[in-house]
Amino acid sequence: MRRFASFHIDMSRFASLHIDMGLIRKYLRAILNARRLLITTFLLCFALMIYLPFTMIALRSIGRGWFGRLWLPPELTLDWYKWAVEVTNIVDISKNTLVIAVLAVTMSTLIGIPTGWAFGRRRIPGKEVLMSMILLPRMIPPIAYALGVAQIFYRLHLVDTHFGVALAHVAICAPYAILVLSATFEGLDERILEAGSVCGASPVRNFFHVVLPLILPGILSSMIFTFTTSYNEFTLTLMTYGKDTVTLPVRTYLAIGEGYWEVTSAMSIILVVPSILVLFMIQRQVAPEKLVGGFKGV
Amino acid sequence: MKRGSKARTTLVTLIMMLPGLAAFFGLFFYPMLVTVVRSLRPEGEQAGWTLEHYAHFLAEPRARGVILLTFALSISATLCSIVFSLVLCLVLRRKPRGHRFFRLTMLIPRVVPGLIGALGLLLLFGSRGWVNLLLLQVLRFVDEPVAINYTIPGLILFYTWLYFPFTAVTTLSTLEGLDPAIEEAADVSGANRWQVLRHVVIPLITPGILAGSVLTFMAAFGAFSIPLIAGGNYRPLSVEIYRQINFTPARWSAASARAMIMAALQVVFLTIYMRILRRPSV
Amino acid sequence: MSETSKTMIELREVTKRYGDLVANDHITLKIRAGELMTLLGPSGCGKTTALRCITGHNIPDEGQVWIDGHNVTEVPTHKRELGMVFQNFALFPHMTVFDNVGFPLMIRRVDKAERQERVMEALRLIRMAEYADHYPRQLSGGQQQRVGLARALVYRPKVLLLDEPLSNLDAKLREEMRFEIRDLIDRLGITAVYVTHDQAEALALSDRVAVMHRGHIEQVGTPDEIYDCPQSRFVADFIGLSDFIAGTVSEVFAEQGTALLRANGLEITVPATPEMSPGQRALLFIRPNNVVLLPSTHEEGTNVFDGLVDKMTYLGDRNDYRVAVGESLELRVQTDGKVRFGVGERVKVRLPTSLCRLILE
Repeated sequence: MRRFASFHIDMSRFASLHIDMGLIRKYLRAILNARRLLITTFLLCFALMIYLPFTMIALRSIGRGWFGRLWLPPELTLDWYKWAVEVTNIVDISKNTLVIAVLAVTMSTLIGIPTGWAFGRRRIPGKEVLMSMILLPRMIPPIAYALGVAQIFYRLHLVDTHFGVALAHVAICAPYAILVLSATFEGLDERILEAGSVCGASPVRNFFHVVLPLILPGILSSMIFTFTTSYNEFTLTLMTYGKDTVTLPVRTYLAIGEGYWEVTSAMSIILVVPSILVLFMIQRQVAPEKLVGGFKGV
Repeated sequence: MKRGSKARTTLVTLIMMLPGLAAFFGLFFYPMLVTVVRSLRPEGEQAGWTLEHYAHFLAEPRARGVILLTFALSISATLCSIVFSLVLCLVLRRKPRGHRFFRLTMLIPRVVPGLIGALGLLLLFGSRGWVNLLLLQVLRFVDEPVAINYTIPGLILFYTWLYFPFTAVTTLSTLEGLDPAIEEAADVSGANRWQVLRHVVIPLITPGILAGSVLTFMAAFGAFSIPLIAGGNYRPLSVEIYRQINFTPARWSAASARAMIMAALQVVFLTIYMRILRRPSV
Repeated sequence: MSETSKTMIELREVTKRYGDLVANDHITLKIRAGELMTLLGPSGCGKTTALRCITGHNIPDEGQVWIDGHNVTEVPTHKRELGMVFQNFALFPHMTVFDNVGFPLMIRRVDKAERQERVMEALRLIRMAEYADHYPRQLSGGQQQRVGLARALVYRPKVLLLDEPLSNLDAKLREEMRFEIRDLIDRLGITAVYVTHDQAEALALSDRVAVMHRGHIEQVGTPDEIYDCPQSRFVADFIGLSDFIAGTVSEVFAEQGTALLRANGLEITVPATPEMSPGQRALLFIRPNNVVLLPSTHEEGTNVFDGLVDKMTYLGDRNDYRVAVGESLELRVQTDGKVRFGVGERVKVRLPTSLCRLILE
């Protein structure tokens, strides 16, 4: 009985608002601070998880004699980078990567503009289905159809050509170019074009002075994304490359197989740093979430 | 006059769509067709039909293990991604200091080739990596370095690292699309923070989370570069496919059969998933 | 309305800043138990900010919020036992009407049987009992708002807050809902704080109105007081139509209770107040429908001036005139349709002394 009585008193103490305000304030402050500490720790761990792997690669790429249980390499050196440039011919490989990327971007943009225009400005029956279909190559992991691509390319002698590899990249670059550009064209307000012609502009001048500036940001955004996609592409390249078309990702993979972690790290840094830089540079212009491919109606 | 121009418009539309459709058919559909056909042909030959490649693979005792492994890795990674993305997005939507930086950070795994991410993770979690050094020397939790690389939990961690952004991005945008008045209404009605989360926020963002996690699952199921270099003895389906080509002479048909099995499994799973998603939601 | 004049809600020097903008500037207000107080003002005046200080969604930078005798300034929202109705209804889209209304009871761990009873009672009160199984998306705006009301009242809070609840409804529905809300509040004897920018709504619904402008409370009073005796130019201008004449007090006749305002070449007799003194600048304010238009043949008299009709608009039940008076004044006058004056016609304009109000600068 006594226990029950004291329990009853406790509850009523918390039930009403007649609590010392100072006590409430103290508790609140404690909880708030614990909360913020937790959040800060969480975010810190998150950032570390994402960036530490790259830090490790970077350290590996400039370290010498880093064996055993050391936190940092005892000596620093740029030898591995020299090795990458001289022995593994990283400059030529980078050229390959860039050439292929430029080709892929050009082809994807040329595909994306008319198709994006059609999707954005014309009524097409089953547009959503068609759009999902066109996005399939991005949803289905490339390994599934890369086999087919490889076999076809062998027959067509497209393997180990810059054009061939770029064409393989187009499989995954074009869908996104189409997606972005159809959104761009959809956003083109008819009335702005009408205003242009009412003001006296011929269709050609209208196009250059009115339409082009409006769609340029969309085109640029799609180009940036297709470029990074092609630059980073591995699976399809692996299936269609040859000794003349070794790209950075493929070479890095081969280096991992060779076992020289240091040189591999140097190559990885060369490969990765531009991408991250580009991401931070363009994050003001383009909604970066688009890069992840936020598809509607999955 | 009218009918003529309508036909012309349709023609123009079709012509404009041609490049995109050509790319789709030429670089995806036809290759898939080729893969299907090749999977049904005897190895190295151009004619004849056979189901031997499918039979061989499915009869192998390890086949079940491979498929199970692939599913286990993908589902675990997806679940981890969901939990992690939820926490991350709930934190980020209050816009704490530096939230723009963290929103970009969220995208890093998608901006770099999976290969490099895997390399970095291998270095970080290796026996001489900082994580083990921390456990050994600073925290002194263990006497021997913990094996994370080339283990299943390690693989799940790597998968999650690489593929959580898909889930995180959709979760964040769904969360931010929520009408704040709804949470305020729950607030005023007497619900504390956890109750608002449990009864109002999470039910309302679940469709968005699931939609994003589909992408994570699909990507994890077909993950290739990670298991290739960090899988060790564990070989999910995608690596199995690649192995077949690495034989000399390359076993294209065997590889194709495995690729078709993988594609079929993905389609089945996707259909089930979509059916769950299509349930009348708000 | 209320037998006791007990203060239910009190804002003491509540100040809330957003960067350089002071949304609430030392707001002090007492709301009595059982009354319906409206915070009225244009957008940006701080009325919603003040309401959110009462709910706890805003924590004031300075000042205190007291509810029912307790200082709740730092008490979190979910402990304040308030009911709130939102402009966009804010119903939980993933719950049925029944679950929406039952949500606060579920949070308070009311057992299922009692919950069933109280929710159905609340639904009957708003005449939505048949819709218990519907989802918000299946309801019209008016129905959704009624459900919002039920959800806010089901746990019998002492205070109900309404944030522009009728703005998203069409005009006819708005008028109906106005009476429903007032009726409900009266029946439950609850204290209510209503926020709106619609002065017709404020005047029709409220026991008292607090007119807000740029973070300050300009005037608090009954609808009559606000309408007939505005104490500042803003309040006079915001409520109803007004004519303003700026001038200087020339003489005060304390024994007669009148004063003379010299403005624009006219000498206008106005009611005197103790604060008046000669030389003061003042603003005369009169409602256009209180100005009398007379034919030019009318005899002279107090506050009868010559005028010329500049514009005339026929509004059906009223005529709206712009009449040039004095040196450069244009008065707006509204009359019932009986006698009509044409544009360009000479008229006499009378400003009845008792209906003139002076706002001292």
